[in-house]
Amino acid sequence: MKIREIALDGVVRQNPTLKLVLGTCPTLAVTTVAFDSFGMGLAVTFVLICSNIIISLLRNVIPDKVRIPAFIMIIATFVTIVEMVIKKFVPDLYSSLGNFLALIVVNCIILGRAEGFASQNPVGYSALDGLFMGLGFTLALTTMGIFREVLAKGSIFGVTLWDANVFSISFFGTSAGAFLTYGLFIAVFNVAYNAVDRKSRHKLAARLANEEVA
Amino acid sequence: MEKYVFSASPHIKSPRTTKRIMIDVCIAMLPACIMGCVLFGWQAIVVLAVATLTAVLSEIVYRLCDGVKFDRILKEFDFTSVVTGMLVGMNMPAGIPVYIPVFASIFAIVVVKMLFGGTGKNLVNPAIAGRVFAFMSFAKAMTTYPSAIIGSLSGGSITDAAGTVVTGATPLSALLGGNTSTLTNLDLFLGTGVGGVIGETCKAAIILGGIYLVIRKVLNFRWPIVYVAVTGLVTVALNGFDFAVFLPSILSGGLILGAVFMATDFVTTPDTKLGNYIYFVVLGALTAVLRHFTSGEVVSFAILFMNLVVPIIDKYVYPRPFGYVKKQKEVK
Repeated sequence: MKIREIALDGVVRQNPTLKLVLGTCPTLAVTTVAFDSFGMGLAVTFVLICSNIIISLLRNVIPDKVRIPAFIMIIATFVTIVEMVIKKFVPDLYSSLGNFLALIVVNCIILGRAEGFASQNPVGYSALDGLFMGLGFTLALTTMGIFREVLAKGSIFGVTLWDANVFSISFFGTSAGAFLTYGLFIAVFNVAYNAVDRKSRHKLAARLANEEVA
Repeated sequence: MEKYVFSASPHIKSPRTTKRIMIDVCIAMLPACIMGCVLFGWQAIVVLAVATLTAVLSEIVYRLCDGVKFDRILKEFDFTSVVTGMLVGMNMPAGIPVYIPVFASIFAIVVVKMLFGGTGKNLVNPAIAGRVFAFMSFAKAMTTYPSAIIGSLSGGSITDAAGTVVTGATPLSALLGGNTSTLTNLDLFLGTGVGGVIGETCKAAIILGGIYLVIRKVLNFRWPIVYVAVTGLVTVALNGFDFAVFLPSILSGGLILGAVFMATDFVTTPDTKLGNYIYFVVLGALTAVLRHFTSGEVVSFAILFMNLVVPIIDKYVYPRPFGYVKKQKEVK
């Protein structure tokens, strides 16, 4: 039961990008093309899982007063690993993500989950939380990346759909377009979320009322 | 006791509603639109019609999505979207692909106006934002200007450095980009033989519309003049006090169109007289300086930028509250 809660929280109810609005910097910067967004999402997911595991294991050892520097140290370690691995095996992604890869260290989602979840929960749950939070982040980023890439470049994951010289709205490739896209995604996501949420609450209320009558 | 009627204020209602003002603005823009169609042919009509229809439709569709009943939308329809759509159309060159005015109008109405709360709540002028959106997105189509059907009255033309005639170049590009122009100021004033967007080339028609607005008390004649004059004078100063560039610089590009119809939007100008002076003087200087150093058409960007500054101006420049007396400085 708790696993289901964690999964729902990570991907939908507390979606890091669309609900908590954390980690906006990479969201705005790298979503120009779908592939970069996907790569960024996976890198963050990996760091999130690993740091959540380690922090959860050490949660009783780390003194409360210096917990933030300790968390940052752990996160930075994994970011360095990710950076080296990507540089070695996917140099294209490394060059297009550039500094934003190193900046995962200060990504609010990771520190937020370390502080808010991993430092208070057992290892298994923390790892799952990292996984699902990362998936939520990856999903949001990739859909934004697809949206912007299709509109601005006429391609999807680098596969050309139509000639960009014939039709493309290059506005969505600029940083102003990133803000607009982000805003639109948050709006649409929340409208859909609230509609579903209201329906499920009605259902719950109806069931409770029935039980009372019975 | 029946002598008195008790009611809540306001007791006197003015016939000057948003709707009437906006209809006036529409009427004022008609001469420029008609001259655009005369100078650029039927393609201009298509662009104007598409832009206006899209703007109106996107406002209606947005409000329908918002759950407003259709008859209420019709009742509350205040022609601001017509003005926005016409301005978006007037800011496009004739003969561009039809989808560009569609996107620009949708962006202007939905993103810039409706998402910020509708008429009177928008932070920047929707038409300006729509134009800038189109300019950033479709830079090539937006800067490919057809030349006017009616040629230059003086037989002048715009030539590049090699001496060949450049068709579709705007006189502004000649002024800034090293092309030489033999167009006279009269050509620039009437838009004959001048390339540009639909609404901007015939200055005479725009000024005619402006005069109508001044007579109808919609527009204060002071502000367009301040804006245009400051731009011209700063351009003169930047060119080493060469007063020969004064008239060409103010008659080229979208300066007059922007000054009459776009910079003076009620919603996006400061509330006070002093604030307006600050706004239009800075706007004029900004336009001239940016034109000089970027060698491009910047009126819309300058207005967009100054629109964003307006809340700051309004924060620091406010009218004296009624009955407020300034504290005398103590005499030592």
